Amino acid sequence: MRYFLYSIPVLAVMPWLLQDFYLSLLLTCLMYAGLAVSWSMFCGATNYLSLATAAFFGIGAYVTARGFETLGYFPAVLFGGIAAGVFAALVGAAVLHLRGAYFAVITFGLGELVRHAITYYEKTWMHTVGRIITEAPESATVYFTVLALTLAAVGAAILVRDSRLGLALRGIGQDEGRAQTLGVNTRAAKIAAFALSAFFAGALGAAMAVRWTYIDPPTVFNPFIGFQTVLIAMVGGAHTIVGPLVSSAVFSVLTEFLRLQFPYAFLIVLGTLLIVLVLYLPGGFASLFQRRKPDAP
Amino acid sequence: MARIVSAILGVLALVAGLPALAQDTVKIGYAISRTGPFAAGAQISQEPNYILWAEQVNARGGLSVQGKKRKVELIGFDDRSEVETAVRTYEKLMGSDKVDLILPPWGTGMNFAVMPLMQKYGYPMLAPTATGRKLLGMKNPYFFALLQQPDSMMIALAEFMKARRVETAAVIHVDELFGIEQMAALETALKEKGIRIVEKKSYPIGVKDLQPVLNDIKSKNPDAFISLSYPPDTFLVTGQAREVGFNPKLFYAAVGSAFPVYRDKMGPAAEGVMGLGSWNPKMSKEAKAYFDAHVARWKKEPDRWASAHAWAGLQILEQAVEKVGLDRKKLRDAIAGGEFTTVLGKVRFKNGENVATPGVVSQWQSGEFEIVWPPDRATGPAMFPKPSFR
Amino acid sequence: MTFWIELLVGGLITGGIYAVVAMGLNLQYGLMRVMNISHGEFLMVGAYLTWLAHTVLGMSPLVSLPFVMLALFALGLAVYWVCFRRIARTAPSAEVVEARSLLVGFGLMFLVQNAAYLMWGADLRGYSYLAEPLQVGGMRFSANRLVVFAFAITASVALLALLRWTLVGKAVRAMMQSPTGAQLLGIDTRVLHPAVFGLGLAFAGAAGALLSMVYEISPSMGEPYTVTALIVITLGGLGSAAGCLVGGLLLGLIEAFGMHFTSPSLKMLLSYGVLILVLLARPKGLFSR
Repeated sequence: MRYFLYSIPVLAVMPWLLQDFYLSLLLTCLMYAGLAVSWSMFCGATNYLSLATAAFFGIGAYVTARGFETLGYFPAVLFGGIAAGVFAALVGAAVLHLRGAYFAVITFGLGELVRHAITYYEKTWMHTVGRIITEAPESATVYFTVLALTLAAVGAAILVRDSRLGLALRGIGQDEGRAQTLGVNTRAAKIAAFALSAFFAGALGAAMAVRWTYIDPPTVFNPFIGFQTVLIAMVGGAHTIVGPLVSSAVFSVLTEFLRLQFPYAFLIVLGTLLIVLVLYLPGGFASLFQRRKPDAP
Repeated sequence: MARIVSAILGVLALVAGLPALAQDTVKIGYAISRTGPFAAGAQISQEPNYILWAEQVNARGGLSVQGKKRKVELIGFDDRSEVETAVRTYEKLMGSDKVDLILPPWGTGMNFAVMPLMQKYGYPMLAPTATGRKLLGMKNPYFFALLQQPDSMMIALAEFMKARRVETAAVIHVDELFGIEQMAALETALKEKGIRIVEKKSYPIGVKDLQPVLNDIKSKNPDAFISLSYPPDTFLVTGQAREVGFNPKLFYAAVGSAFPVYRDKMGPAAEGVMGLGSWNPKMSKEAKAYFDAHVARWKKEPDRWASAHAWAGLQILEQAVEKVGLDRKKLRDAIAGGEFTTVLGKVRFKNGENVATPGVVSQWQSGEFEIVWPPDRATGPAMFPKPSFR
Repeated sequence: MTFWIELLVGGLITGGIYAVVAMGLNLQYGLMRVMNISHGEFLMVGAYLTWLAHTVLGMSPLVSLPFVMLALFALGLAVYWVCFRRIARTAPSAEVVEARSLLVGFGLMFLVQNAAYLMWGADLRGYSYLAEPLQVGGMRFSANRLVVFAFAITASVALLALLRWTLVGKAVRAMMQSPTGAQLLGIDTRVLHPAVFGLGLAFAGAAGALLSMVYEISPSMGEPYTVTALIVITLGGLGSAAGCLVGGLLLGLIEAFGMHFTSPSLKMLLSYGVLILVLLARPKGLFSR
């Protein structure tokens, strides 16, 4: 964790050092770091496979779309996170008893459900879909916001891990029935963690959306953002915090490098690397660090 | 941890150290969808034209920059159909690589997203696949839309319908900005011409079955059926109209009907279908030359809507560079103020909108998407009423 | 009256298409817990092979169907050998198999899609085959949709019969209930696993071949079909052949009637709404055991 603390001042001065492109690359990196860490916060510990990240991200982004003009940027980010968190709590109360693929599919379905509900609402009552953001904030402002959110997500993940809630979540991951018998209110624990992880995804969506000028449901409810988050977290090692962080950096930079170097075939290379990685480093990047600390969770 | 950090830094250094480019070429950068859901549209209407154009220009000795010939070097990246990736790529092209010129990405949403960058770095952009009043409402001085806007297309359709005494129409549209803007334009145009809309339905993107809707509409027996749809739905709606035996006098399907694959996939059912087109090789000698060059290079026909607009955009860029060189401010002014001869005929911009290319109605007739309206641009007479589906 | 029957049959036909799309994934996930997210990509490969055979060799898609299935079966064996064998061998639990196979599936998705772009370009492709409408007792349906529907019913029934009454079926069911137990009984999972995986891909290929007659195709067509497949099999209950068919048909009917009674704009809301309701009432799908 020392490295984590050292990195903060370094990351904070980047807007003055980097060209737009490298700052954007770093921004993407941070966004996925925040998404992956907040995803692992709940899913890594409990062994749930949630595909709802795209839904949370999209809800946040849509709060920006609707509220940016009236609320301003920072309140929109905050409300975006809260809206996603509330949504997750409501939905979580209904679906968190499902497991495995059933949970994965239903969380994916929720994203689509929200997307189509928003489209229908906008079309029927607003007679348009999508919003335009004029006067978008400076890219440095977006960068600092995303940086702050990502750091907050990491901080929250550490706090959760070391708290009773974290213990409860890990207990659920190992054997939910046993955790229940031991007196853990598993339902409350799951809903709380699910909502917390959704808060960060929603806030990140709200923060990023201003970069795209035109915000409509297909852009912000892009299922690929959710898939990529799961991918990054799992390749990193979802039961840790450092794994997803490393993995998001490696993935963002590697994908960008391959995309620019092999403009036609980079996905073949990426796909192959991914398969090799899963087969020969099944514990994720996190297992590279854990050799030294075999007793780490 | 330190090992990994240094590895990342190493890769970053590699990203930064892209091969140095020869100095005397004109570097033209763009991001476009080669993978993902936008790839089909981008690879039908847009990127093949960029490459073909660059090859032709270089075969002629290069791009004439105020009389001096310089070779063109295209720098094209895949944006993965992701808005954020497209934004980042243009930041690289404009901010880091400082390319001489840029070409636009594919699609309305992508063009929206790049707009602030165009203004920030001062790169003019001629967009062949972006349409909508909202885009032009941004009043971005560097943005030029080549396609006809929804109102001009829908007015042309309404005029044609009025001329053929069509009285009633049923309309379906896709729940996207495109469908909603076209629908609004169509409603205004039809109202003005006194044509009644007897049924109006919308559907979400990605639908796999519209038969129930078509059955409902068939029972209302409208003179005209207008589908303001995207490619997958355009195909679907044609196939299923044939399936349920729905044979209105006029059958219009918006995006995708101009694709050659529409004719190939629909077979005899394409005959007489009208749609959103803009040109065909019979229009002029220049159009025929472009068509032939495209077929020779890519072994496939260009689509009859946006492809020629992409080509026209490249021609305009070429003519403007010849006149004022690579000073982008001057280039913008030259494009905004000039009139250009292109494959589409004369093109002229007013507030970023191409006001010289009129809205047209096209119709598939024995394998060609004939322009049938307005009369002064028509390449053939309209087949009306449309023959029943075979 | 004809109108209602037409609506009903139309919904069933669309549902049949959904069932065909889901069949292969149902085998792989239901029987082996291999969450093959690249299912749609292999469906796309099947569609392209059929399209190639039709446009280049002039082969009828119905003739090339068995060849496409065979080719994808072989491809499935190879993919299993390279990617999934190691996972099945090293993973400590079914949950881990699920997670790792999901990641490998992402890799395959990138790989196969990009390979298709390189080979065939990103354009939409399509051909016209059996698109003529057939008149059945006052109702009209295009022949190719009816063919897909017939295949869905036949294949589902055949699969059901295979699982219920043959020795292989018994082995597969034993494997589902307890992999270790099955091995103790002398069932060779080293043969059965690749075979089931290959069969899953063969069905994906068949679905692609059939769909290429009805819809246009492109290298990015796969993802929406993967999603459809996942919804259908969770609706029906993972691993249940009957559930897969019923789930697909139910989804088709909901869409057809929903579209008629409400608005097509609500179609997606209805389908996902029903999925969520079903899973709330029956957390393991309609045909859970």
